This record gives sequence, C-alpha cells and structure tokens, in this order.
Amino acid sequence: MLKSWDTNLLSREKQTLRSFFLLYTVFTITLLSILGAIYYNFQKDLMLQKNRLQLSYLANEQVLRLKALHVNFDKDRTYPRDKRFKSAIYDSSKKQIFSTFGKKHIDFNEVIYMEDSKIYLIKEPESYYLGTKYLVLEVPSNNAWLSKVYKTLALYGVAIFLLMMVFGYFLLKLLLRPMREAIELLDRFIKDTTHELNTPVNAIMSNIEMIDKNTLDDKLAKKIKRIDIGARTVSNLYQDLTYLTLAHKIVSKDENVDLEELLKERIEYFSLFCESKKLRVRLTCGAKTTLHIDRKKITKVVDNLLSNAVKYNKVKGSIDIKLGKNYFEVKDSGRGIEKAKISEMFDRYARADESVGGFGIGLSIVSMIASEYALHVEINSEFKKWTKVKIWW
Amino acid sequence: MDKGKDMVVKFLIVALLQVAIFASIYETNCMECHKSMPVKIDKFFYRYLLKYSSEENLKSALTEYLKHPTKEKTILQAGLLNRFGIKKPTTLNDKELKEAVDEYWEIYKVFGKLK
Repeated sequence: MLKSWDTNLLSREKQTLRSFFLLYTVFTITLLSILGAIYYNFQKDLMLQKNRLQLSYLANEQVLRLKALHVNFDKDRTYPRDKRFKSAIYDSSKKQIFSTFGKKHIDFNEVIYMEDSKIYLIKEPESYYLGTKYLVLEVPSNNAWLSKVYKTLALYGVAIFLLMMVFGYFLLKLLLRPMREAIELLDRFIKDTTHELNTPVNAIMSNIEMIDKNTLDDKLAKKIKRIDIGARTVSNLYQDLTYLTLAHKIVSKDENVDLEELLKERIEYFSLFCESKKLRVRLTCGAKTTLHIDRKKITKVVDNLLSNAVKYNKVKGSIDIKLGKNYFEVKDSGRGIEKAKISEMFDRYARADESVGGFGIGLSIVSMIASEYALHVEINSEFKKWTKVKIWW
Repeated sequence: MDKGKDMVVKFLIVALLQVAIFASIYETNCMECHKSMPVKIDKFFYRYLLKYSSEENLKSALTEYLKHPTKEKTILQAGLLNRFGIKKPTTLNDKELKEAVDEYWEIYKVFGKLK
C-alpha cells in the first residue's frame, strides 16, 4: 500500500502525518521515561529497604560506643571507628560534631537514602550522647542492582518502544485508509477517462491538420481555428493526465535541449490560444542556453507554464517569457495567487481559482519533473496583478 | 619581725585582689562552690548535653535554670537532688550570667575535642 506513497499523498497531508508520527513518538518516549523512572525508584527503594535492617544494627552498635565515650569523655576522646562504615554525628541544630567522611550535605528528613553511589542511614539515639541527635552512617552502595535495573529498562524499553511503533504504524494506516481511498478513486477515474479520450482527440487533430486552410472562407477558417484550439486543449490535458498516471512507467531519454528553440516552438504551438485571448507574448533571450533533459518532459514543463499563463490571463493581457543562463521564467498579467495559497500550488488537484476549467494538476507535474532533474521552481505573485513562475538550476 | 609579718599579709592581700580582679565570673561565681562539691562541674555539663544536644538549647536551658531553679527543670539525679536539694537563684545579671555560661560551654564542649 505504501508503494505509491509519494504520488498519492499531498504535501499538507504528509505534513500532518509527520506531525502525528512525531507527536506519537514523543508521547511514547515520555510514557516510557515516566514508567522507567517509576520502576527505577521502586527498585532503589527495594534495595534501600534491604540494606536498612543491616545498617540499623550497625548504627545501634555505634550508639553504644558513643554512650561509652560520653561516660568516659574525661578520660578518652577517641571517636569510635568501624571498618564496615563511615559515620558522623550532628547536634540538634544539625551542626556537625565529628565526622569520618568529611563535610557533606545530609538530608535529615530521610531515614535512608542514596547519593553519589553511597547509602546514608540516619539514626536518632534515645539520648544525646556527646550531644548527638543524629548519627549518620555512610556505606558504599553495591551497584549490582543498578546494572540489573538498567539492563531490564533497556530491554523492556526497546521492546515496548518497538511495539508502540508497530502499533503506531497500523494506527496510521487505519487513519490513512479513507484519505487514500478517495485519492485512488479519483486517480482511477482519471485514468479510465483519459484512455477513452485518446482516440477521438487524435482523430480531430489529424483531420484538422489535413484541411487546407487556404481553400476555406474566413468564417469557416475561424470555426476550424476554434475547433483546433479546443482539440489542442483536450490534447494537452490528455498528455498531462497520462503523464501523471503513468509517470513511473515513462523512461527518460535525456538529451541536450536548446531552450530558446524549444520556447519558440511552444509559443508557436500556443499562438492560437494567445490570439483567441488577444494576448501579447514577448520572449526575451539572453545567452544561448541548453539543458540536458528529456525533451518530452521539459516540453511538459513549458506547456504547463504557458497554458496557465494563457488560462489565467485577462483579455488583451501579456505574457513575458525570459530565458537566462541558468533560468527561464513565465510572467503573466493575470489574476495572481493569494500569498497564503502559493505553497499549496504544487499539490495535485489544488487550484487557486475555481472559475477556470482544469484539474489542478499542471503545477504538480511541473514540480514532479523539476524534482527529478533537481530544478528549482519559484512562484511569485501579486494578487489580481501578475504571477511569475521561475525555473532555475 | 612584725614588719616581716605585715609584708606577708600585704603580699597575700595583693595576691588575692589580683586573683579577684583577673579571675572570670565563671571562676569566681560557679567554680568557687562547685569545686568543693562531690560531683564535679563537668558531670553537670555532660548531663545537660545528654538532654539538650545543641549549644543554643543547652545554654538557654542552663540560663533558665540558674535564674529560676526548680525541681522540674533540674538535671540532677533523684538521689543527689534529695541530698543536696536545688540551688538558690543566681545573683548575677543577664550579661554576667551569659558570660559565665559561655565560658562553661567553651571549656567543656565536645566540638573540636574528638580525634
């Protein structure tokens, strides 16, 4: 289903999907982090509770030693030390009386806690021997539990994350289904319609070409001209639609294309359209410019730009075509595009103005071809005044 | 001979005066009585420490007791209390009392004495 992802989704929709996926990932990671933190704290508390009993015994021993020292303080002033732990004593104003682990900030609100890989137990003796209200024991923490916790967290974290991503993928597919079905329906309809258009259009065009225009009177010649314009419009549309639906099957035949020659040829092709709208067409050429590209594809680009310039132009308007060393541009004097809509112009079926016929696929094709050949497309417009499309490389 | 006796008496008086002048309030007002008691003054300090822990609490409890001694406030054991009773209220003013208590704390405090 994801095979034709790029051609089937609009950029706005892709953006929405990207936002959804980002949001979903952030949500998953946040949820996993919270769960991980809860698990970590739970395991830490469990480890501390295991240590608490043993440390309490040690603290009681130390209290007895302090008591003995208190009684004999006039004879002995050596602080009792123990190989199994470091300790410190504090008075009721939390001022340190003596310490074997130096000066450290102690959290007196806790009974047991861990900091910097050390476990601290705070014991309050029944009497203040030597003024000791708080006896603090410090033992190094055995980090085996920590590596076990990290291993479990990493394993389950990755597993749940992957599971959530798979779940997210199916959720996304579920959400996309109606949208995709609508686009596919439209595509299929166009494909079927185009196929049926081909033969009659070709018949009309070839028959018009066969008519000797010089033998006709003015009135009939005018009518034939109109039929010719109509047939060419349908033919253009047919080619666009074919390109769009069969783009992936077309093999590019790149060659050096003289752009001036091509532009002149296409202007000539569109001259009937321009005449019918009384448009003034001006081509300004700078240096001789060639582009290594598939001739059919660059013709498609030029045709679409010219077709738009004619279609959206006012009667007696103008079309200015400029060819430079590394660009060409088509500027019309038409109705322009609102600034907010410019970015949507490359989307398939997007149309700035619904009053003129068309499917809204022209610029989508231009964009497809441009991205294939790394050409840049730039649209500038002043609403109700002009639109300029520039292709540069 | 008499002259010699006079000299000795004079010398003793001067010496006593000197002691009186240079001796602290603690020494003249606390130690004077306590040194002749069977329980030494440091024992009282450690009993106070056992009950009050911090410098601030100890000093305020001791000051309060010296000013208004009662059976409820004393840290004396029952046996000693029955034998000696409680002391009379101090005659020192607040400033002198504070000075005496501060010196008492400085002499017997545990801070800086453990090794």
